[in-house]
Amino acid sequence: MDRKMLGVILTLIIVFAFFLGLVYVGGNMLGVERLQTGERPLLRFAFVGIGLVAAFLVYAFTKENKAWVVGTREVVYMAIGAALYAVFSYLFNGTVFVVPSVSQVALRPAICIPMFFGFAFGPVVGFFTGAVGNMVGDALTGFGLYPQWSVGNGLIGLIAGIPMLFADKKKSLDTVLIVGAILAAIGTLFFFLFRTVPNTLFYDPANNIFGDQPVSLLVGLSIVVGFVLVLIVRFAFGKNIDVAAAVTWGMLGNLIGLGFAALSDIWINGYPLPVAIVGEFLPSAGPNLIFAAILVPILVIAYKGLQRQTGR
Amino acid sequence: MLVTWRYRKRRSLVQSFDPRAWIIFYLCFMGVTISFWDVRILAILFGLSLGIVISSGLTWRETRRAWLFIGGFIIYFSLFTFLTGRGGMEFYTEEHVIRNVQASFTLFGWRPVLHITVERIFYALSMLVRVFSLASMTILIPYSFNPAQYGVTFRGLGLPDKIAYAMDLTMRFVPTYARDFQITMDAQRARGYEIEKLRGGLLAQVRKLAPLIVPVTIQAIAGSEDIIDAMDLRAFGIQPRTWLEELHYRPRDRALIVAGVGCFLFSLALSIYGVGTFWVPEALKSLPLL
Repeated sequence: MDRKMLGVILTLIIVFAFFLGLVYVGGNMLGVERLQTGERPLLRFAFVGIGLVAAFLVYAFTKENKAWVVGTREVVYMAIGAALYAVFSYLFNGTVFVVPSVSQVALRPAICIPMFFGFAFGPVVGFFTGAVGNMVGDALTGFGLYPQWSVGNGLIGLIAGIPMLFADKKKSLDTVLIVGAILAAIGTLFFFLFRTVPNTLFYDPANNIFGDQPVSLLVGLSIVVGFVLVLIVRFAFGKNIDVAAAVTWGMLGNLIGLGFAALSDIWINGYPLPVAIVGEFLPSAGPNLIFAAILVPILVIAYKGLQRQTGR
Repeated sequence: MLVTWRYRKRRSLVQSFDPRAWIIFYLCFMGVTISFWDVRILAILFGLSLGIVISSGLTWRETRRAWLFIGGFIIYFSLFTFLTGRGGMEFYTEEHVIRNVQASFTLFGWRPVLHITVERIFYALSMLVRVFSLASMTILIPYSFNPAQYGVTFRGLGLPDKIAYAMDLTMRFVPTYARDFQITMDAQRARGYEIEKLRGGLLAQVRKLAPLIVPVTIQAIAGSEDIIDAMDLRAFGIQPRTWLEELHYRPRDRALIVAGVGCFLFSLALSIYGVGTFWVPEALKSLPLL
C-alpha cells in the first residue's frame, strides 16, 4: 500500500473516529442534547461513514484502472459538467421558471447531467459534476449549502461512471438491475407502511404547503414507475449497450447517492428512519429515475452523434 | 465565447483582503449565521453584513436585479410563514396572541381568522434577518471576486492544481452556460415552445424538457475541444502549475481568518450548549395563549 493511499485511509478513520467520539463523549457521557442521536447512535452515525468509505473503496480496489486518470480532457469536462448542473439546478429549482408540479413531483431535469457526465467521461468527472455542481447551484439559489446532499449527488455521478471500469459494459448490468429492484422495493414497502409521513421536500407557499403534506401516491410509487422505465430502456436498447449501461448505472447511482444523503439526515437532522426514506428519499430519488430513463438516453445518443461528427 | 461575472476593481473593504482570506471568512460567517435563531444575535450579524455590503462599493444599479429577486422571494416566503404560522412549529410549542383579526366575510360558512402572535412575528423576523444576512454576503462574491484569481485562490486554499483549475473553469462557465440557455430558450420560443405551458402527463412533460437541456449540453461539450487543445498546447498538467498572479497573506488577512474561525468555533460551542436558540421577549409571554 503506497503512502498516499495510507494517508487517505488514515484521514477517513480519524474523521470517522472524531465524530463517533463526539457523539459518545458529548452526547451520551456528558449529556449534551444537541449531540444525542437516539437509542442506537452507532448504527445511525455509521451510515455517514459507510457512504464515504464505500466510495473510497471503489477507488481503492480499482485504482490501477485508467478510468481514474485525470488529464486535461477530464479537467475541462469536470468544469463543464459542474457548471451545467449548477445552471440547470438554479433554473429549474422552482424560483426562475415556475414549471407546475405534477402531484408533488417537481420537474427538475438537471439530475441527468451528473449521470450523463459520469457515464460519458468517467467516475471522477461524474463525482465532481454532482458534488461541485450541486454546491454551486445551491449557492446561486442563495438558500445555503447542504454538504451531505452534495456528496450524495457526487456519488450519483461516480456510480454512473463505473461502467468505464469494465472492458465490457454489458457485464454486471443484470446484477445492477437486481440491486436496483431490491432498493426500489424497500423504498416502496416503507411508503405503504408509513403513508402519513410528510413530503419534506415539497414546498408550495402559494398553496400553504411547507414540506408538511403527506407523500402523494404518485411520489410514493415514482420509484417503481422510474424503475420500470429503466427496465424498458435497458431491454429496448439491448443492442445499444451505451444507452442501456448509462441508464442502468445512473439508476443505481441515484438510488445509492440519494439514499446516502437521506439516511445521513437521520443523524444530521434527527429524522426517524421512515421520514428519511418516505419523506426525503422517495420524493427525490423516485422522480429522478423518471428523468434519468427519459433524458439520459437522449443525451447519450446526441453525444454519440457528436463523437461521430468530430471523430474524437 | 466566455461571458464573465460582473466583477470590477473597486476600492472597497472586501477587495482589500486576500481572496482566500475572504472566502474563509465568508464560510465562517455562514457557519455562524446558521448556528443561531435568536433575532438579537442575527440582527448583529445582519448589521455586519449590511456594513460590508455598503462598504463594498457596489451600486444599486449594478445589483438591483439580484436584490429584487432574492429580496422579493425572502419577503414573500417570510410573509406566508407569518400569515400561516407554518415553519416555526419546531421552535415553539405555544403561541401568545397579540390580536386575532377576523375577516368580515365568510367562505362556505367559514370565517378566516389571522392570529397575530408574538412567536409568529419573531420567527418571521428571525428568518428574514437570517436569510438576508446570508444572501447579502453571497451576492457580493461574483461582484468582488476577481475571475483571474479563481484558480490561484482555490489552489491557495489547499486544492490540487487540477481540481483548483476545474473549480476556476466551473466558475467561469456558469454565466456562459446561463447565457447559452437563454439563447436556446429564445430560439425554441420562436418555434412555439413554451416552458411555462408544458402539456401532457408527467412522462410527456419530462420529454418536452429535452429541447432545452440537450442542445445546451451538447454545444458545451462540442465547444470544449478548443479549450482542451489550448490547454494541451500549453502542456497542462505535466508539471506543478504556476499561476499568472501570486497571492501572499498579509497580517490583516491572517487577522481576518483568525477572527472568522474564532467566531465560528465560539458560535458552534454556544449553539451546542443551547445558546442562541429561538427567542421572544419575556415581557410578551404574559399575553394570553392561542
